[in-house]
Amino acid sequence: MRVRSVLGTILWAKVRVALHTLASVRQESKLKVAFVSVSAGLLWVGLFQLSRMGFRFFEELASTVVGVGGLSLSDLIMARMLSVFALVLFVMLVFSNVLVSFSTLYRSREVWYLIASPISLSTFFLGRFYECVAFTSWASAFLGSPVMLAYGLESSAAAIFYLALLAFYLPFVVIPAAIGSVVTITAVRFLSRHRRPVWLGIASAALVGVFVLFRAQVGPADAESTPSFQSLIVMLTKVQSPFLPSTWLSQGILDATTGAIGESLFYFLLLLSNALVLVWIATLAAERWFYAGWSSLAGGSAVKSNRRLVVSRVLDRLLRHLPEPTRSLVSKDIKLFWRDPAQWSQFVLFFGIMALYVANLGGARSFAGQESWRALGTLLNLGASMLILASLTTRFVFPLVSLEGRRFWILGLSPVTLRHIMWQKFWLSVGTTSFFTVGLAVLSAIRLDLDRTAFVLSVAGMIATTVALSGLAVGLGSLYPNFQEDNPARIVSGMGGTLNFLLSMLYIALVAGGQAIVLFWSGVSTVLNGVPYVWAVTGAVSWILVVTVVTCMLPLHLGLRNLERAEF
Amino acid sequence: MIKTRSLTKRFDEKIAVRDLDLDIAPGEFFCFLGPNGAGKTTTIKMLTGLMRPSSGEAIVGGVDIQRDPIRAKQLLGYVPDHPFLYERLTGREFMQFVAGLYRMTDSAFHQHCDELLETFEVLHVGDQLIESYSHGMRQKLSFASCFLHQPQIVVVDEPWIGLDPKNIREVKTYLRDRTREGLTVFMSTHSLAIAEEVADRVGIIHRGQLLHVGTVDEIKALAPGRGKRLSGAGELGSGLGSLEDVFLELTRQAEEGAAPVGGMQYES
Ligand SMILES: Nc1ncnc2c1ncn2[C@@H]1O[C@H](COP(=O)(O)OP(=O)(O)O)[C@@H](O)[C@H]1O
Ligand SMILES: [Mg+2]
Repeated sequence: MRVRSVLGTILWAKVRVALHTLASVRQESKLKVAFVSVSAGLLWVGLFQLSRMGFRFFEELASTVVGVGGLSLSDLIMARMLSVFALVLFVMLVFSNVLVSFSTLYRSREVWYLIASPISLSTFFLGRFYECVAFTSWASAFLGSPVMLAYGLESSAAAIFYLALLAFYLPFVVIPAAIGSVVTITAVRFLSRHRRPVWLGIASAALVGVFVLFRAQVGPADAESTPSFQSLIVMLTKVQSPFLPSTWLSQGILDATTGAIGESLFYFLLLLSNALVLVWIATLAAERWFYAGWSSLAGGSAVKSNRRLVVSRVLDRLLRHLPEPTRSLVSKDIKLFWRDPAQWSQFVLFFGIMALYVANLGGARSFAGQESWRALGTLLNLGASMLILASLTTRFVFPLVSLEGRRFWILGLSPVTLRHIMWQKFWLSVGTTSFFTVGLAVLSAIRLDLDRTAFVLSVAGMIATTVALSGLAVGLGSLYPNFQEDNPARIVSGMGGTLNFLLSMLYIALVAGGQAIVLFWSGVSTVLNGVPYVWAVTGAVSWILVVTVVTCMLPLHLGLRNLERAEF
Repeated sequence: MIKTRSLTKRFDEKIAVRDLDLDIAPGEFFCFLGPNGAGKTTTIKMLTGLMRPSSGEAIVGGVDIQRDPIRAKQLLGYVPDHPFLYERLTGREFMQFVAGLYRMTDSAFHQHCDELLETFEVLHVGDQLIESYSHGMRQKLSFASCFLHQPQIVVVDEPWIGLDPKNIREVKTYLRDRTREGLTVFMSTHSLAIAEEVADRVGIIHRGQLLHVGTVDEIKALAPGRGKRLSGAGELGSGLGSLEDVFLELTRQAEEGAAPVGGMQYES
């Protein structure tokens, strides 16, 4: 009998687990499965339509600028859009891999088991690494495929475009996964013994570094002086730095479609060789540093109690005006959050992304000269901020109830009602996230130099969104809790978390629709002639209110009913 | 103090607890005995309101736990079989958290917290994260937190896993002393030695059915002359059987009764 290689065995076990998980979907409620599939399908179609509209918009824009059909210019624009998309995907993949690789390499329960078994560290690492790649590439394939399909259709690409896409995809996703692993392994090895301030300092330095690099590479150079279509093209060109894997991807695919097979092959091999070298480097890093980092992490929670006491005392001071069971619940939730590196480190990352976003808005202002650009910019900014909020509530609020987990008996036994606990989590979520989201809304509104209507619309919309998405996340978190899992990142990646994100997107689309009517009133009113502006504003505001109340209250109600029925 | 009427719990087809009738007086130390899977934990979860009965009712301190859970829970303390606690709180913070849930005043908390941590020997680790506790220390911390709000009834579910013999004795003595002050204790266990030592009364449950309730002596008295005896542990004892014999005998009988075909074959 052939002896299976160790790596083969690990992967085989993983595949079996995945199959069992798939099979267990049959035991889930039919309604939930149907709901998740339908919303996922809708999301896909929605993304597809949105990207088609986007590509068409730029194509038309290109033709109006040149004024003579401008075929070549619109091709140019399309090519540039492809590189922008590839770059966005690349950056997102690097971020998500840093997040995923920490929990996969250090936090999952099987790590203990695997480390105890007689396998080499490189085998261990590769096994976990493939899991990271599978996890992140699946998500990016889901989000990327509608955009690429829209791109292919809009640019009427030949079949080879899709074939090239498939071939380039694998080495392209391996690169960020390897980068993510190297960053994580190095950081854990050398930083886990340091205190939080050191971590925060290094994280912000890294963020500033990324920002500066980004500005130097793709930032709007002298956009302030020439707020024009040309500057847009200049900016898009800068996205194509020859040192970025995203450029190799987009160039390689474009070359394949135009028949330049040799060039295309060159880019493919460039991607492939880089992917392999990076995996090799990551394996070396794992062999050198994984074990030391992992053990210092596992044994790292030594006393340090004085510090902890001071921080807790400050927290208790801040909360002292809350009435009693609420104060204890809030204080506990915050302490647990802040003491879990998997939680706060990711939160800091989110915060960094927000900061980068606001810092980069300055460039966008240069396009805000024209009226139509201004409205579009406002709407896009709102959409982006709401999306950040949706990821925030999905990642951090949705798991709150599940994280009580097998400790639910403590709450279940105490003379505190479940209703009280749910409202506490809701207000905690609103209170903490609104600090960031309303701040983000105000800051970005100022950076974009919005007029009063747009300003009020942005900030009020953000408050409504915070309330709605918090209610949704707490409600769905109680409706579909996962009491077995202690790792918040994994709780979120289940069905309930997916559903929460999808529904958040749906809510955002509905609210943005209401806001669009007001922002684009000059355009909309030509269709609906005779309707006064006041009506439009009233209509939009009541629409947003109704959607918000439903999105907040309905899941909370259903979730509470589910918890009251649950047994611990 | 604890009263159940036809308390029943079904899991789909399976009946985990069937028509349980118990009546436990204030200040009584009641031991609930049964092998693994007998339905002890299920009963306890219904008593504490963590599970809803399929039928019947559970009344603690004169309050129906399903009808007025908040009032009933004020009277109750519970120590679970697996002490899942908040890993990233310190022991003292956990006590403070529990005090908050029961709306205790600060002064009442400070009066009792250290005393209890001391009694259950976790005071020296009170400012360390629970993450670093051993299983036994967690168990002891859940005992300490259980007594924080001065419950009148304490329900304990097989708490001995992870405790060393000295701790077991201390906990037993503590519970025993408290019942003298009027505390009612409902303790489930499969350890007969412990039940024999501390219980005022013992209930024997097997496959969800209450077989017998009585004082330790009453139950022991059942042993000789009750039906036929198979070879085994029972023969070693003479006169009054040990609780263990009775227990094995009763559960064996119940098994035969539950499977008449098997019983027939025995007779032939
Ligand atoms: N949540 C559940 N779902 C289905 N069956 C259960 C559940 N909890 C307990 N049971 C079953 O009920 C019976 C009694 O269990 P339990 O009360 O835990 O026994 P024990 O006396 O050992 O504490 C067992 O057969 C067990 O398998
Ligand atoms: Mg049990």
